Amino acid sequence: MKKPLAGIINISTNNILSIKRALEFIGFNTVLINEHVPIEKFDLIVLPGVGAFNEAMNTLNRKNLLKTIDQALNKNKKFLGICLGMQLLFQESNEFIKTKGIGFFNGNVENFKSFPIYKKTFIGWNKVNFSKKFFKNAEQYYLLQNKAYYFVHSFFVNCTNKNIEFGNSVNGRLTYASVVKKDNVTAFQFHPEKSGKHGLNLLKTIANNI
Amino acid sequence: MIKRIIARLDIKNNFLVKGMHLEGLRILGYPELFSKKYFDEGIDEIIFQDVVASLYKRNQLSHLTSKISENVFVPITVGGGIRNIKDIKEILVSGADRVSINTGAIHNKNFVEEAVKIFGASTICISIETLKINDSYKIYTDSGRTEINKDTFDWIKEVQDLGVGEIILTSINNEGTGRGFDINLYEKASKISSIPLLAHGGTKTPDNVYEVFSKANVDGVIIASAFHFNYYKELLDKKEIPLTGSTNFLKDKNTHSLSFKIKKLKEYLRLKNIEIR
Repeated sequence: MKKPLAGIINISTNNILSIKRALEFIGFNTVLINEHVPIEKFDLIVLPGVGAFNEAMNTLNRKNLLKTIDQALNKNKKFLGICLGMQLLFQESNEFIKTKGIGFFNGNVENFKSFPIYKKTFIGWNKVNFSKKFFKNAEQYYLLQNKAYYFVHSFFVNCTNKNIEFGNSVNGRLTYASVVKKDNVTAFQFHPEKSGKHGLNLLKTIANNI
Repeated sequence: MIKRIIARLDIKNNFLVKGMHLEGLRILGYPELFSKKYFDEGIDEIIFQDVVASLYKRNQLSHLTSKISENVFVPITVGGGIRNIKDIKEILVSGADRVSINTGAIHNKNFVEEAVKIFGASTICISIETLKINDSYKIYTDSGRTEINKDTFDWIKEVQDLGVGEIILTSINNEGTGRGFDINLYEKASKISSIPLLAHGGTKTPDNVYEVFSKANVDGVIIASAFHFNYYKELLDKKEIPLTGSTNFLKDKNTHSLSFKIKKLKEYLRLKNIEIR
């Protein structure tokens, strides 16, 4: 059987190798997307990202990658955003400087530090409370629900449309969306590619379900 | 808050080595076999440290990092001989998530500030090696070889001001001895640390780990010998260890009683109500 093909959008921030290797581990071939390309041949488009929101938007603009993302989002292509890649899909962020995002999801990106949180930069494992409807079957739900996944972030999405929220996590007294989904697009605040076996299983689930 | 259990692999010339008080290194085997095993067993994170890089002013970890990150899907931190932005980039591109800096930070604080700006706080971790003499804790560099006339707690405050994301604090006195953690050190350090603090040096039993989690507010523990000696036996039986190092020390009863499995440690901590993955 021919392996499915994942295109990874390269914003040339830190560790792009991790997501590439995790996708290959679960059975994908991968291609890095460095500039705008036609998306027809891909089975999955991934937007990873570590770093600052405005820098990432600038890079996407400069490399004409917003066009690629736009096509993927609107042509019903399976799409996965991770960490900053999730935040970029929202409307606006105040990280360093007010910057408009891609705006596929409604809501803004906000700084933890103005909320009643435990850590202003969260580095480590945290539980994700998935809603049942995220998974195709009960077996997947019980395997992956309420397990710990790996997070690294100081900003989070203040998701105004609860219909797109498919999972949340807690930092201090703040509960925030850590999984969002609409149609063909799924996004995680955590790093499934760094979340051990549950993370790999989750990636598999998404790849199969999308 | 979920506490982290981290395995540390000291590397010399591409081999996993282990010493005592950061000295007297012995070859244990191929680090990529150990790291894959640790991932399979449920480790939360892995740290690689080139233990002679700083001393010989070189840095050879990027090739190894690339090999290791093929099979390890938890965060990887790499340290040893990191002196400039190019070193950091090379290691991150090879598959590491974070770098740890010790000597490079002491000699050049501007470098650390610049690194935080470029790569983000969560990518930059400071490793501190401390030796207790009488009642004072002094910091060391080059894997415990060179004393720097600076108080450990002052340095903890300084590196936080530089904006780094995390601190690894190693007790040279306890490292590799199985004496348990220096609780007093971690109690004091965690009180002045507003960023995550990781304790390293001296684990002999799961109870040592419980003790440091319950008495000091540390975010994770770093364990080397106790894991290596356990899995060494297993990997040795499978003939996956090159027999180039001296292995007689493993027949020593004391060494055997030093080791336990990752799963066993996690079960123990869960029973004691420590939140663990």
